[in-house]
Amino acid sequence: MFAGEENIATPGEILGDSSQFIAGKGTYLAPNGRNIHASLTGQRRVVPPPADSAEKRLTVEVVGHKTRGAVPEPGVVVITRVTRVMARMASADIMCVESKAVKEKFTGIIRQQDVRATEIDKVDMYQSFRPGDIVKAEVLSLGDARAYYLSTAKNELGVVSAQSIAGKNSAWKQVF
Amino acid sequence: MVHRIPLRGTRQRRTIRQKELQYSWRWQLEHWVPIHHRKAWNGDINNRKGQIFKKLIGLDLMVGISISADLPFSGQVLQALHQVQHMLSLARPRFGPRESKKAMLYSDVGRLNCHVTYTTFSTPIRGQGFDNKEYSSMLHKALEGAIILETFPKTTVDIFALVLESGGGDLPVIISCASLAIADAGIMMYDLVSAVSLSCFGKNMVIDPTSEEEACQDGSLMITYMPSRNEVTQFTLTGEWSTAKINEAMELCLDACSKLADILRSCLKENASELTS
Repeated sequence: MFAGEENIATPGEILGDSSQFIAGKGTYLAPNGRNIHASLTGQRRVVPPPADSAEKRLTVEVVGHKTRGAVPEPGVVVITRVTRVMARMASADIMCVESKAVKEKFTGIIRQQDVRATEIDKVDMYQSFRPGDIVKAEVLSLGDARAYYLSTAKNELGVVSAQSIAGKNSAWKQVF
Repeated sequence: MVHRIPLRGTRQRRTIRQKELQYSWRWQLEHWVPIHHRKAWNGDINNRKGQIFKKLIGLDLMVGISISADLPFSGQVLQALHQVQHMLSLARPRFGPRESKKAMLYSDVGRLNCHVTYTTFSTPIRGQGFDNKEYSSMLHKALEGAIILETFPKTTVDIFALVLESGGGDLPVIISCASLAIADAGIMMYDLVSAVSLSCFGKNMVIDPTSEEEACQDGSLMITYMPSRNEVTQFTLTGEWSTAKINEAMELCLDACSKLADILRSCLKENASELTS
């Protein structure tokens, strides 16, 4: 891949005019509504518009040369480890955001009403999770000051790996 | 008595080492200056009769150096060598963003956490390494306007600046360094921040003062600036100034800031193209 210095953008650099380009990832539109600036350091790319859209402008984007650490965001699927189970909620540490491991610890909580989609008031937290379980969950919201709110109320979400009291690993099919 | 002898010895060695450094940096300075201020620079710091001194930009920057793998945060490390002032400063954002502390209230935007520390050997007289609270908050104020905090809600980015050698005009170097480190770490920002300070002596002005110059200044001015947006993120002014003089000093500083930003950019680009190719 061609990687000349002239093709690399640094934060603040003007990449183009909004009459010719649309600001894509790693760029932003200046308050005056005309200039498109870069907001990352990295490769500058120009993407043509999809063939069927009315938009004729090209999209300019900057692909960072280093990626910052992954951060949970609403809607993404995370892998967590349950740390504590209480009557109305379970707290879990987020270990992966999608396929990326997080470098710093983030905490999340799964509330009783978010464990499954149906019969939400009959959920018994102690029967659903045990400390140490590996749970696949979706981030519902940024939550409160303490934790992210997680949900397992979807078919593909839930405990993916757990140990029985005897200490044997159980496959995920047995758990369900 | 016994413990004094090695102390004196180290001090002596230190002054000798400083002189050597001074000479080698002078030499490099001559190689740097013609690019930027050939006319204004006459090679003699002590000669400042009547004219404004522009002895800026003897700066060497390096991004993305890992000093040692067992550092607690082996994140991005950055080093700037200020040749005029014998100033070496290091800034590194921790592998972040990380989760905000539990005691903090919920916030929709990200937080910035800045720390400025000095090493034990940063000043000519060996002392204790210390945290500079004032500089930490100034650094925070200068940078928070330049970072797009909305991109990492509820989380915190830490910036640690370590001054290895202090020779005056520390804060501007720390700020420029930190902004470079953030840009290198892949955190979204509106623009690079470059900072320049200026001292005034009666009618004369000196850009990037040394500590000796700072000690006898009549007034000082510092600007942190985002060049491609043409915005000032922080402005500090001390001492007695006339309006005309402030204007002149600001123009000088802004000019210096844009030149400094060009150097920062080329440094970043060099580093990025090395990494990608």
